[in-house]
Amino acid sequence: MGMGGFGDPRPKRSHNADKHGLFSNASGWKSLITFTVLALAWISGFASRLFAVIRFESIIHEFDPWFNYRSTAYMVQHGFYNFLNWFDERAWYPLGRIVGGTVYPGLMITSGSIHYILHSLNIPVNIRDICVFLAPIFSGLTAISTYLLTKEIWSSGAGLFAACFIAIVPGYISRSVAGSYDNEGIAIFALQITYFLWVRSVKTGSIFWACLTALSYFYMVSAWGGYVFIINLIPLHVFVLLLMGRYSSRLFTSYTTFYIMGLIMSMQIPFVGFQPIRTSEHMAASGVFALMMAVSFLKYVQTILTKAEMRYFYMVAVVGAGSVVFFTVVLLTYAGVIAPWSGRFYSLWDTGYAKIHIPIIASVSEHQPTTWFSFFFDLHILVTTFPVGLWYCIKSINDERVFIVLYAVSAVYFAGVMVRLMLTLTPVVCVLSGIAFSHLLGLYLKEEESPSSQDSDSEDDGSSDKSSRNLYDKAGKLRRMRHEQMKESDGLGSNVRGIVVMAMLMMLMMFAVHCTWVTGNAYSSPSIVLASYGQDGSRQILDDFREAYYWLSQNTHSDARVMSWWDYGYQIAGMANRTTLVDNNTWNNSHIALVGKAMSSNESEAYKIMTSLDVDYVLVIFGGVIGYSGDDINKFLWMVRIAEGEHPKDIRESDYFTERGEFRVDSEGTPTLLNCLMYKLSYYRFGEFRMDYRSTPGFDRTRNVVIGNKNFDLTYLEEAYTTEHWLVRIYRVKKPDEFNRPRIPLSERKIKRSKIFITKKTNKRRKGTIKNKPTVVKGRKPTKTA
Amino acid sequence: MEILYTIPYQLLEVPNLKVKWPSWFRQPSAMTVYAMVLLSYFLVTGGVIYDIITETPGYGSVTDERGTRTVAILPHRLNGQYVIEGLTSSFMFTMGGLGFIVLNQTHSPSTPKFNRLLLIAIGFLFVIVAFCSCWIFMRIKLPGYLHS
Repeated sequence: MGMGGFGDPRPKRSHNADKHGLFSNASGWKSLITFTVLALAWISGFASRLFAVIRFESIIHEFDPWFNYRSTAYMVQHGFYNFLNWFDERAWYPLGRIVGGTVYPGLMITSGSIHYILHSLNIPVNIRDICVFLAPIFSGLTAISTYLLTKEIWSSGAGLFAACFIAIVPGYISRSVAGSYDNEGIAIFALQITYFLWVRSVKTGSIFWACLTALSYFYMVSAWGGYVFIINLIPLHVFVLLLMGRYSSRLFTSYTTFYIMGLIMSMQIPFVGFQPIRTSEHMAASGVFALMMAVSFLKYVQTILTKAEMRYFYMVAVVGAGSVVFFTVVLLTYAGVIAPWSGRFYSLWDTGYAKIHIPIIASVSEHQPTTWFSFFFDLHILVTTFPVGLWYCIKSINDERVFIVLYAVSAVYFAGVMVRLMLTLTPVVCVLSGIAFSHLLGLYLKEEESPSSQDSDSEDDGSSDKSSRNLYDKAGKLRRMRHEQMKESDGLGSNVRGIVVMAMLMMLMMFAVHCTWVTGNAYSSPSIVLASYGQDGSRQILDDFREAYYWLSQNTHSDARVMSWWDYGYQIAGMANRTTLVDNNTWNNSHIALVGKAMSSNESEAYKIMTSLDVDYVLVIFGGVIGYSGDDINKFLWMVRIAEGEHPKDIRESDYFTERGEFRVDSEGTPTLLNCLMYKLSYYRFGEFRMDYRSTPGFDRTRNVVIGNKNFDLTYLEEAYTTEHWLVRIYRVKKPDEFNRPRIPLSERKIKRSKIFITKKTNKRRKGTIKNKPTVVKGRKPTKTA
Repeated sequence: MEILYTIPYQLLEVPNLKVKWPSWFRQPSAMTVYAMVLLSYFLVTGGVIYDIITETPGYGSVTDERGTRTVAILPHRLNGQYVIEGLTSSFMFTMGGLGFIVLNQTHSPSTPKFNRLLLIAIGFLFVIVAFCSCWIFMRIKLPGYLHS
């Protein structure tokens, strides 16, 4: 698998070289080659995303996909309108969640309509399989839209390279393997196709393409919150074009059409609602719209007025329009009509912001800033060719290349701030690397035999320029001249060329090997099912998560409420079908903080919180037996931090650190830590546990220490279930009448018999007694007759 | 029409001054832009943002039987790095990119043939060195890279 991808970029080149000399019908060959390469890219991209399905099974991965899957299944079962009105009372107990109004429904609608079409064709496919394979299928569509975008910007040869790159590049595969049923899987396709349509509409200036841009923008808005990137990047492009003095009526038509239609359509998504006209994230677009109007008005006035009049007018208009727009935005922001930047976006600019103010955002590992390793791991050789493609684009700039340069620069910055946004960088890296490789191989593959076929790449360029209706790209002409000069000077020997080309091909091959290796080893773990490898290479499957969730669904009451850290909320809801308190839709920080407080308090304090929240079961993830590092103890500091944010009087992070500022669970750990609920639930009975006869009991393999507090009992909770490898531990919260009652052997039990009547008559006292005889006190009225 | 745009000047007197752009302020040339972009690319891929936020140390040290020595690369931790390690590898990335650009420059018509060969050799060397050193860094960082 993935082998198809290795061969992709190369056959095309050799064919391209052939096409001039051997075959008369060049355009037919060209489209056949294009079709073949794109089909192969689709197939290899699809195939290399199947590692998880082949190694494990067709299963939904990780956390968020479980919610997406659950709501898709709900939509398929109950219909679209019931889904939009769905109030999920099984999440965020006791608050509930309005699902229809708080999701981007594009993903569910996409897979739901595929399901609908297949079923109306009498092809019975389970909705789960559609969900599992949706992202790999869409990766092919992404490859095609990347091809189209690159073709618009450079040439079709570069487009084919870019399509092959994006089909197998790990940065994109990480979010689109089979089973990773998440918004990003379809959103990258929507992103690329929107950018392609935008570039096309700027080039042509036609309303048709601008409308299509708005439509695909609408799809993007329905699919992913990352649409904000589009609605800021396109205005930025327009703004920079205006600054560079590249205003044209094409630009005016495409932007105004796109903006108005996109604005209206994006407001149809319930979750987005009125945000596009009310929040600061969207204000850049409307500001540029106003600026566009002002500039075009000035251009119009310029045609009427004389030059001297124009000078007066220009000053008044520019100063007036600028200050009006600026003060309107400021005033509206003060008046509260426009909401200021939300924390999630603010943290992109002020990178330290999340760490200080929003621990819940900072706690997610994919929101961490990126290290060099991620860049190389996700992009490999493309990380070095990316600046090369950028260099070509900047060197011969035109309207649409300004766009790709801006896209590149902003995406690089965002990818540096957050690991997760590597995903938006990857497509542009593929585009630019495609340009670089195509240009380079074009230079080195061309033969000296016939001067007319020199540099097929720039030939492509020229022809595409000619075929497009607007010859505004003057850079092409200049290059042509230089090449004509070059024909006179003799070229390099074919040996040197051969070596360089071979080295390039070797590098591309290494790239393909790297991609397949990374996909197989790093990005294809479902994280629901874990696999561990023994020293002899044997594989052991750890299926503890599903074991625990299945136990919950079979052995607890249907209304039972399960408390866990928010990471596992979606999985509990999706697999065990039980009510959860918090889940991965982290919309209510104080509720999460309450759970965090319960986990970090001692047992009796936690019990108060748990009874107030009606908790029946507590679920913790414990990796100490198998050495699983993503367990709750390792996440524990974030629980403390989040709880401290809301309850600074009760929880203090410093209490959980030793004097030397270390977080440790061995005997040197602080008493607060060794007695908190999370510690106790994780290590209950662990002090008796030993892996084998040589190891010390209570040795935690994840943290490589012997735990500090071994012998303790639980008062308010009891162990309900622990999975095979101790990975998931479930505890039942006792009812108030169940705890603090020591067990007494039957013989020693004293039973108070209040109801049974014992006669007081003895042999001596024969007088009868009346039960409940009213006592009579002289001089007082009897208050109550018994 | 004329009345419309002269209204403000009925009230205000236009001061007699000439506003000129400062001499350094003009549209930057393509190569200036590119140099700036490349510099920021160098910094970002080196994880400088990571270094600033997490306040990571410049380099680390390990203690073994021969005493304490400094290490430049933090092994086994994929989402962590030292400052020096990030900058070194992003230097390699940039060097590889420059190598590719140099490979393209060989087709400039004015350079004599020997210089062209020299340029090809340099560009080629840059690319290969960058590629190999990145590969070695990966092996240090992730010992099972491309093997297991």
